[in-house]
Amino acid sequence: MSGYPRVLFKNRRPGETLFLDDYLAAGGYAGLRKALKTMTPAEVTATVKAAGLRGRGGAGFVTGLKWSFFPADQPGEKYLVCNGDEMEPGTYKDRQLLLADPHQLIEGMLIAAYALQAPVGYIFLRYAYEDCARNVERALGEARRAGFLGTNILGSGFSCELHLHRSAGRYILGEETALLNGLEGRRPNPRSKPPFPAQKGLFGKPTTVNNVETLANVPHIIVHGADWYQGLALTEKGAGTKLFGLSGHLNHTPCVELPLGVPLGEIISDHGGGVWQGRNFKACLPGGASTPFLTRAHWDLPMDFDTLAAAHSRLGTACVTVFDEGTCMVAATLNLNRFFQRESCGWCTPCRDGLAMVSWLLEKIESGRGTPDDIPMLQDQLRNISGRSFCALAEGAMGPVEALLRLFMDEVEDHVKKGRCPFN
Amino acid sequence: MPKLTIDNQSVEVPDGTNVLEAAKRLGIVIPHFCYHEALGAVGACRLCAMKFEDGPVKGIQMACMVTAQEGMVVSTLDAATVEFRAHVIEWLMMNHPHDCPVCDEGGECQLQDMTVAGGHTLRRYRGLKRTYPNQQLGPFIEHEMNRCIQCYRCARTYQDYCGGEDFGVLGTNQRVYFGRFRDGRLESPFSGNLVDVCPTGVFTDKAFRFKSRYWDLEEAPSVCPHCGLGCATIPGGRYRELQRVRAGSNRQTNGFFICDRGRFGYGHAAHAARPRVPLVDGQEVDWTQALAAARARLDKIIAAHGPRSVALLGSSRAGLEANAQLRSLARLLGTDRVVFAAHAPRDWTARTLAAGLGAQASSLDDVRRSDCLLLIGADPLAEAPLLALAVRQAVRGGARAAIIDPRPVALPCATAHLPLAPWRLGQALAALGDNDWSRFEGQEAVFLEGVHEALAGARHPIVIGGADLLGPAGMRQLLELARRLSREDRPCGAMGVLSGPNSYGAALLAGDGPDFEELSNAMITGEVRALICLESDPLTQAADPAHAGLALARLDLLVALDSLPTKTLGHAQIILPTTVTAEGAGCFVNNEGRMQTFMRVLAPGLPLRETGGGGHPPRLFMADTPGAAPRPAWEILAGLQGRAASLAELRDALAREDVRFAGLTALAAESEGQRVADAGLALPATRVEDYVPRDGELALLVCEALFGSEETAFYSAPLDPVRPEPRLILHERDAGRLGVTPGEQVRLHSAVEEVVLPVEIRADSAPGVAILPRVRGSLVEAFVPGVGPQPCRINREVDHA
Repeated sequence: MSGYPRVLFKNRRPGETLFLDDYLAAGGYAGLRKALKTMTPAEVTATVKAAGLRGRGGAGFVTGLKWSFFPADQPGEKYLVCNGDEMEPGTYKDRQLLLADPHQLIEGMLIAAYALQAPVGYIFLRYAYEDCARNVERALGEARRAGFLGTNILGSGFSCELHLHRSAGRYILGEETALLNGLEGRRPNPRSKPPFPAQKGLFGKPTTVNNVETLANVPHIIVHGADWYQGLALTEKGAGTKLFGLSGHLNHTPCVELPLGVPLGEIISDHGGGVWQGRNFKACLPGGASTPFLTRAHWDLPMDFDTLAAAHSRLGTACVTVFDEGTCMVAATLNLNRFFQRESCGWCTPCRDGLAMVSWLLEKIESGRGTPDDIPMLQDQLRNISGRSFCALAEGAMGPVEALLRLFMDEVEDHVKKGRCPFN
Repeated sequence: MPKLTIDNQSVEVPDGTNVLEAAKRLGIVIPHFCYHEALGAVGACRLCAMKFEDGPVKGIQMACMVTAQEGMVVSTLDAATVEFRAHVIEWLMMNHPHDCPVCDEGGECQLQDMTVAGGHTLRRYRGLKRTYPNQQLGPFIEHEMNRCIQCYRCARTYQDYCGGEDFGVLGTNQRVYFGRFRDGRLESPFSGNLVDVCPTGVFTDKAFRFKSRYWDLEEAPSVCPHCGLGCATIPGGRYRELQRVRAGSNRQTNGFFICDRGRFGYGHAAHAARPRVPLVDGQEVDWTQALAAARARLDKIIAAHGPRSVALLGSSRAGLEANAQLRSLARLLGTDRVVFAAHAPRDWTARTLAAGLGAQASSLDDVRRSDCLLLIGADPLAEAPLLALAVRQAVRGGARAAIIDPRPVALPCATAHLPLAPWRLGQALAALGDNDWSRFEGQEAVFLEGVHEALAGARHPIVIGGADLLGPAGMRQLLELARRLSREDRPCGAMGVLSGPNSYGAALLAGDGPDFEELSNAMITGEVRALICLESDPLTQAADPAHAGLALARLDLLVALDSLPTKTLGHAQIILPTTVTAEGAGCFVNNEGRMQTFMRVLAPGLPLRETGGGGHPPRLFMADTPGAAPRPAWEILAGLQGRAASLAELRDALAREDVRFAGLTALAAESEGQRVADAGLALPATRVEDYVPRDGELALLVCEALFGSEETAFYSAPLDPVRPEPRLILHERDAGRLGVTPGEQVRLHSAVEEVVLPVEIRADSAPGVAILPRVRGSLVEAFVPGVGPQPCRINREVDHA
């Protein structure tokens, strides 16, 4: 294994969950103590901002910047929401985190709630994560009994209550405004922005939504400082470590914590044990189903937000799904698109009907019934769906489609020319 | 007022206007589905894309979602935008069944129009179309989900705007479904609006099915005759049959929606028993003979008994011109015995309102924009349904709404309700005016004080009172309360809920004249020998129908003009058939004094389906149109005065004669109408003393019911499936005392009649009051609302047996 420092996974033991006693023994809640006793809410936000922490849920927005838009000084109801609706295909890092060390999230949320002066927080957890839910419930109980949660936390005068809410189970709930609707008991259609949740969020009140992994980083930043955190990354602009969850055609598919900026090839060879069955690497999704494919040409690419954006892709959730040389990229793209089509909430036309049209075209091509007209028609769909839908779901769905047409056009044409899938 | 440029034309629009609306002002109509002026912009359909070339917003954006800002430069013709719009249509049409030839929406289908406008011509998708099962949604709405393009307008109308809870969105992705959890009648009394808002044929008018194509209909702007609010409607007729009504739009009154009573109440026009030909002593005659006979008999009676032996009775169902002609006829005959309503307390309440409302008059739009509303003695869903929608919009906008009413008044929004016995409504109004709660205790005082505080602190407060429960004295107090709550910088509005489409206009004409009680007494004493009855049915409408029956029986001559087969026609020697609202033209003055004109939609006649012998096309050649004799009442009344008159002439004369109606000559159809000018009438003296039961006694309160009480709607077959069953509403405390269980039959003893009917037990009505919603044509028909609480006695029917 590599000699990189472990931060989020430092307490992780195979098959075990760390609860309060062990968490405290490992230095847990020192961040909360430090924040409450020695820092003002604004200082916490400033530190997180200076650390350069970017959202780990997929969009990579600078967390401290998001917090700085939040009207923390405004009196009245305000909410912190943790987005644990991890439903991106290939993505399972938040689950690993909650299986290993749930108090880390609770401590991170309490510090965040302090920075935002939000007296109430919700953990919105994926429907299927029963084991995580049990861990979180237990950890919440422990934290409450230990005085980390509730009124007048650690005698600081700050009070905060956290609630676990389990999703009803649709991918769209990962979209933060759909999540808020779902949390309110409404149909989880995304809301139009503006107003942003920081102005009008949960129950119409100022709300910040952060990913599980993002919040878990916060205690460490508070304890060790912004400079330390920035120094963790291998890239100049990057900051911190990242959980990389591997899946697909690899010999090993672990979830590992690595510094941001570690090269793609290193992740695949050192942690995935290389492509399975002695085959060659063909492509991968670098960070979940909605991120455009990377190919062999990107082997040495440092895995960070900006570097991947420059490579026409996105870091997303940094959960890498690998395809070997025997994979039909049309079939792979179709499979991904069917997921997005099924998970469309049905609100806007490009997503609800456009994705269905894309699936139909890919199906036609994959099954050998494609005609030369289908390729420009597919390009039509891509051009008109991208950037025109109500929320980012359809935009994400177009990631693999765009990459397919950019990187694997010869393969698509081959399907049409041969009248069958060349991989069958 | 930002100024922006759209397609190289500049336009200045009010703050807050979206760019789609701004383009519309320039005559540039960009296809759109989900946007609707009343429902707002939600950005779902993605069809109204425009290219924002310069200014604060850039790129291709949905115009409905962008607020117009200074300096914006927008193109609707940009190539990528045009291409995108065509794609949106193509996507929307992927699953549409293309069943236009058999679709009832054909011809008035926005999807057809927008598809053509959007530039999509050829379907490229060749896959399977998704299909849905449809639901049985009750007697009004036909459901055909396969046509759906998921614009969400139906759910937004039904749930968000109208507050219905039994219909909405189900499912996700391309299988989104708009319907109910399971089959069943749509519960909202505004369900018919689904037909209007659906851009295609998912929700169509069931009663209108298979009757006509849109383009074959004769349509004209009209005013709803089914309550006093004066909602804009567009009735449609064909083959001499009024076949449907859809909502018109008047931003001051109904906005864009109407209630189901207004939409499906048109059947009276085709009622089989409707008077169709002039009758003298039961003999069919032509108009010349009928008018001559009527005039000769009137003259004979006048010669024998003097001009004051003739009385005339107008109505709130008849238009302003007809009632005014009745007044001229009275003058010509030399009698001052002219009354404009058969129900004396309602008449006096309307007169009080018309005399005193003045500048405090509030429209439904004012209600929608209000931030604090008090409804006292008013049950909007029963008496004036669109008022309930207006209150809902105010509450959605953050307004507080309080209800003081003995009935369990339910509105489709959050309200606070104080159940107060009817004889205490006046005390409550006085207390609110005087800021003195000494006559109230505990929660009641707290409630009233809260209401007072909210009204005093509001920016646009409006007090709304129902005529039937307040009566003339209460209406006077309501107006006084509004005056007291008004400050120079911030007036308090007032609104009275009246029962008829022209109650206000009739009241203006009545002035300080006699009422029907006086008239019927004069009939019984024999001072009045002849009555000319204009579209009025005292036998079901008078405050005391039995007394009216005695009075009518004493008459030597009853000349009845009507379009409905009323009971009163049975007493008439001369029957002169009139047109219904949609067959004539005229003006109604609504409950806020707004004059609105309605146009002739179709000529009267027996529906062709009845006379055509079943053939298609129905070919029957004859010189006359069967059943075409009915004439507008104003024309008949002018005829009785020996002159022919046009509506324009009558209006001119009325406007010249009476300054309040000066706006009449300039009144245009499809306009917002014009308020009558304030005449500075003196408030009529009020004299009604309410019956107040002693402890342990119950008072009977008769009130209106949504589909049960209104006269015109009673004769409309499409509403038959939704008529309520008679029931008596008791407070749980009274029910407990009587030992009555829910649904149990009780015997109601009253001065009106003794009837047996089931009880409904409520916790949210006023104790001590037995509430009886009137259902015409049922065993409780003889009970008339608007007469104040009456003594009554109630027994369990098992005890009686």
